[in-house]
Amino acid sequence: MRSNKRHRVGIDIGGTFTDLVLIDDETGDQSVGKVLTSQGDPSEAVEEGLLGLLGREGVGAGELGTIVHGTTLVTNALIERRGAETALLTTEGFRDAVAIGTEHRYDMYDVFIEKPEPLVPRGLRYGVRERVLDDGSVAAALDEGQVRSIVAELRERGVEAVAVSFLHGFRNPAHERRAAEILAEEAPGVTVSLSSEVAPEIREYERTSTTVANVYVRPLVEGYLRSLEERLRRIGFEGSLYIMLSNGGTASVETACRFPIRLLESGPAAGALAAAFHGRTADFPEVLSFDMGGTTAKACLIEGGEPLTSSEFEVARVYRFKKGSGLPVKISVIEMIEIGAGGGSIASVGPMGLPKVGPRSAGSAPGPACYGRGGTEPTVTDADLVLGYLDPDFFLGGRMRLDREAALRAVEGGIAGPLGLDPVEAAWGIHQVVNENMANAARVHAIERGKDPRAHPLFAFGGAGPVHAYRVARALGVPGFIAPLGAGATSAFGFLCAPLSFDFVRSLYGRLDNLEWAAANRALGEMEEQGRDLLRASGVEESDIRVRRLCDLRYVGQGHEVTVDMPDGTLGPEHTGRIITLYRKEYRRLYSREGPDVPLEAITWRLEVSAPPPEIGPGGGDGGAEDPQEALKGEREIYLPEENGFAPVPVYDRYLLGPGAVLGGPAVVEERESTVVLGPEGKAEIDAARNLVVRWSA
Amino acid sequence: MRGARPDPILLEVLWNRLVSVVEEQARALMRTSFTSVVRESGDLSAGVFDRRGRMVAQAVTGTPGHINTMATSVHHFLRMVPAETLKPGDALITNNPQQTAGHLNDFTVITPVFHGGEIVAFFGNTCHALDVGGRGLGADARQVYEEGLFVPVTRLFREGEPNEELFRLVRANVRTPFEVVGDLHAQAGSNDVGGARLVEMIEEFDLGDIEALSDEICTRSERAMRDAISALPDGLYENEAYTDGFDEPIRLAVSIRVEGDEMRLDYDGSAPQSERGINVVLNYTAAYTTFGVKCAISPEVPNNDGSFRPVHVTAPEGSILNAQHPAPVGARHIIGHFLPGLVHGALARAIPDRVLAQGADSLWNTQITGRREGGEPFTYVFFSGGGMGARQGGDGLSATAFPSGIRGVPAEVIENISPVLMHRRELRPDSEGPGRRRGGFGQEMEIGVRGPSPWVLSAMYDRTRCPAQGVNGGSPGAPGMVRTSNGEDLHPKRQQRIDADERVTLSLPGGGGFGAPTERDPARVARDVTDGLVSAERARLIYGVVLTRTARHGEYAVDAEETARLRAGTASSPGDDSQEGAGQ
Repeated sequence: MRSNKRHRVGIDIGGTFTDLVLIDDETGDQSVGKVLTSQGDPSEAVEEGLLGLLGREGVGAGELGTIVHGTTLVTNALIERRGAETALLTTEGFRDAVAIGTEHRYDMYDVFIEKPEPLVPRGLRYGVRERVLDDGSVAAALDEGQVRSIVAELRERGVEAVAVSFLHGFRNPAHERRAAEILAEEAPGVTVSLSSEVAPEIREYERTSTTVANVYVRPLVEGYLRSLEERLRRIGFEGSLYIMLSNGGTASVETACRFPIRLLESGPAAGALAAAFHGRTADFPEVLSFDMGGTTAKACLIEGGEPLTSSEFEVARVYRFKKGSGLPVKISVIEMIEIGAGGGSIASVGPMGLPKVGPRSAGSAPGPACYGRGGTEPTVTDADLVLGYLDPDFFLGGRMRLDREAALRAVEGGIAGPLGLDPVEAAWGIHQVVNENMANAARVHAIERGKDPRAHPLFAFGGAGPVHAYRVARALGVPGFIAPLGAGATSAFGFLCAPLSFDFVRSLYGRLDNLEWAAANRALGEMEEQGRDLLRASGVEESDIRVRRLCDLRYVGQGHEVTVDMPDGTLGPEHTGRIITLYRKEYRRLYSREGPDVPLEAITWRLEVSAPPPEIGPGGGDGGAEDPQEALKGEREIYLPEENGFAPVPVYDRYLLGPGAVLGGPAVVEERESTVVLGPEGKAEIDAARNLVVRWSA
Repeated sequence: MRGARPDPILLEVLWNRLVSVVEEQARALMRTSFTSVVRESGDLSAGVFDRRGRMVAQAVTGTPGHINTMATSVHHFLRMVPAETLKPGDALITNNPQQTAGHLNDFTVITPVFHGGEIVAFFGNTCHALDVGGRGLGADARQVYEEGLFVPVTRLFREGEPNEELFRLVRANVRTPFEVVGDLHAQAGSNDVGGARLVEMIEEFDLGDIEALSDEICTRSERAMRDAISALPDGLYENEAYTDGFDEPIRLAVSIRVEGDEMRLDYDGSAPQSERGINVVLNYTAAYTTFGVKCAISPEVPNNDGSFRPVHVTAPEGSILNAQHPAPVGARHIIGHFLPGLVHGALARAIPDRVLAQGADSLWNTQITGRREGGEPFTYVFFSGGGMGARQGGDGLSATAFPSGIRGVPAEVIENISPVLMHRRELRPDSEGPGRRRGGFGQEMEIGVRGPSPWVLSAMYDRTRCPAQGVNGGSPGAPGMVRTSNGEDLHPKRQQRIDADERVTLSLPGGGGFGAPTERDPARVARDVTDGLVSAERARLIYGVVLTRTARHGEYAVDAEETARLRAGTASSPGDDSQEGAGQ
């Protein structure tokens, strides 16, 4: 008996493709759809892809309970500067905070670096007479008359969006709120965001930058989401539409429209959720998600089945993708490291006469030399092709032919010639150097968080992830790796693993030994109430709501805060000891050393409410054979350093490998969007969810 | 790496790993330090040295003054404490200005790493101490003795146990014992993090030690540096610059002789040692000199023992750039920060496309001492940057420190941890050095202190008399100014008492321009005027651009015809008085 609304769909809009995954929650069965992203109105492709997928699977739009959607719209709008005409109201004397930034040169030796232009030009940044001090007291009242005359000017100038960010507004938001009221009265059509709501945290540059970016994209995102909602209703969808957030949670359309900045990077976040989910099913609750695409590789630690999160992010880098050259945003994000090492990364000989890979990338145009689109410099993909890891006739499932001769020429000219190596040696060098770069970055990332980098198997996806996973895993010394089926739609699947959740932040500063506990409890209480309201409004049962209360604490005088879970119930001085213990434990975990005997101060209080994560059956159960012989496509020569040269290995069709199939390395397993390369010490098994799980045989 | 011919692939793999080891060492220090300039500004350096004490790799961190001075430090340590007397768990420390980072406020800590019972490497780091006693950080002292506690090479830890006598001595001599001692622990801890990772690396790759790796890396770095120098035309390149000095402007002069693959930079002709604490030790002079050279000709070559070999830096003994003990050196960065700009100005003739015009150069270092509203004393220090010099490829960056790599501290953080009030912090209009590419704008800050007590401003500011010069016909940036709200000019380098309700305005200098201002794209001039950063009057007089207001509020557009006419008539005049900074 088919129950109504037992299907869910995840939809991921990427730059080139829109991916869809349909799940039948009862059986766990999944099916995947893919259409080209429509460039004008992306919701067109969503409709087309959805109708196609539902039609193919014989499911009616009315049978869908939930659609979870993620989009790169916000990221792209910020990169391409396609947002609304935006103004900023800030404290008089501070309108250049967004231009002055951190005063920092993010590259010590490069005198040609550029800094990002603020989203709001100076002429639209207004200083308002008002002043709140660090303790929240008002030193100068808001000059309402001045605000009114500024608003009149904004109306005249046709401004569509206004960010309000006053100094210490996170401590006392009264002036920001009053300014918002005046804006609502005098310019009702204008979209307004307040720093005390978008990012209520200390540091005027980062808070203002986040608030400006939020309001800058709001009209665009609102327009898009409303149009999407309408389309979905029109085709008969009656369920709930949720939007994927950067921290791995999802939110209602309402929340997404108010805080669109939280939609940044939802694709990679979902990839990490998929990693967490598959890790759990494969009995690896701790994994390192490893997503290697065309221009970069991203890695994220999953601990106890959940990805780590951070509250700092940077978007729209303007200079060579360098850290520090983008706009800072204070939002909750899944914490990832990103390094310039993807399939398109260019290999060259550096000034020291050593081979370097990246961060320059050939991108998709001209792309790697083997694409035959005019690229002549050797890339990681070219090296992989020379080494036999990629099949020139089966790239993207055969949709694109690769030119091995061109790859060879590029490797010869760019690396082998200058270094006096033979081209295969040089290609292996490129492969190895990029693997080591990724392993090093992952190692530093893990150790910085007090984790043992050797404890986390890789969860490898993205076009190039499974090609490199074996060697990266060996370099890191981890126990193995997992390659999911359908590496191309991993993010869309990840959307369906995301729980509905909301996050809140309040800055409330005080030393733990004389904290205003009543104020802290009030803040926590208000945040919890708001969160519960939002979840209930989304149909979550009161009893299913999970609340997590956290506080960023630091030693008085030390700079880095450590986020600690707070005990339940009303907090008071009697909890001080317990909180100090929790802090010390976390500090030890992060820095592997005891902290000094110094009082603590609380900086920021955080609260998360969430519904339970959706249950997903094993899925994809049928299809494929247990006997790998039935999936054998043939044989080809791949480079194996253990053999000091090429050796023939079996090539399997991933789609014909069923649960329980076991195969030993060396081997190659091909699917449409990626290829798993298995070295001689790998032993792969297809699990019930059709993940390919690799462990070491020796 | 034990074999004869090193495999470039393996070498790259090992080199990358070594760099990630020192990065980790540096991050450990940043995260555990108690001093905000270390944490927020990255005012530290971290590196690894081979058994022979040669620096092999270092982390990319905050300031050249720390990074490059550390390069030679291990040799000094080992001269005082022979390697064979060191045991596992030992850590050595000094703040000897001549041997390390040029003033007492920087402690360098060195830790030997043992493997198989033998020393295989040293980890070292240098980090700014919040206080070292004495008069407090400033330029007022007449001798180094007044500047605080001098710690010659001493054991900080002995076989894992802290040297309590030294810690007691430090605690007794500094105003902020808690932070200073906390940071010394953090420094030793960060070396341990590096050491542990290095041993893992040695074991994983079965290296035995890092001597062969070090040889190969240093040789290749040296070769790369020599190639970069060879690409410069041989010749003698000279330049001079003036800094405010303490009371009188100070001349700095450099002559750079490029000969084949070697470069000799000599500072003969610079002013003699000063009576005030703005003297620079040779080690620090060399650090900022090589930094300037690297930015211009070899940004990609790593800093290590090899890359410094073909660059020779000299200054006569007793020169302000080679100060001898016991000259006061507290505010040595004030002069030291000018050296990269001086070097760039000299090299402008050879490589105009790769150098910077002069910028604010010296960081503006503000120390405020006073009482909180409750009466407890406080000291707060922050650094700020003026405008950077223009470049051939682009305008100078505004309010951005160069050569220092520090970060500014947000007003909210300043107000959160001290009673200092930031009343205003904005870009400073009309402070840019005009040019085809203009210099960066300085910033303007208005500061005060909450409460009923008067306070003391320890100023360490420069370019109030000698503005940043342009290159290739670019004009100078605006000089800096320090003024009270009553309009009274303050001394840029003294401790001065300020009344309780008084405010002080710091107007930081702008960067110099690149190329003639009358060659600047008029659309860019219009944009600066629309932004309110350049006045329409200045656009006409200096840039030769005539603007008209558009229908859009506050927007200006170029009157192309009038501009052409103006530029045709006056093309030579505005640029003429701006040639003095063009090098030579």
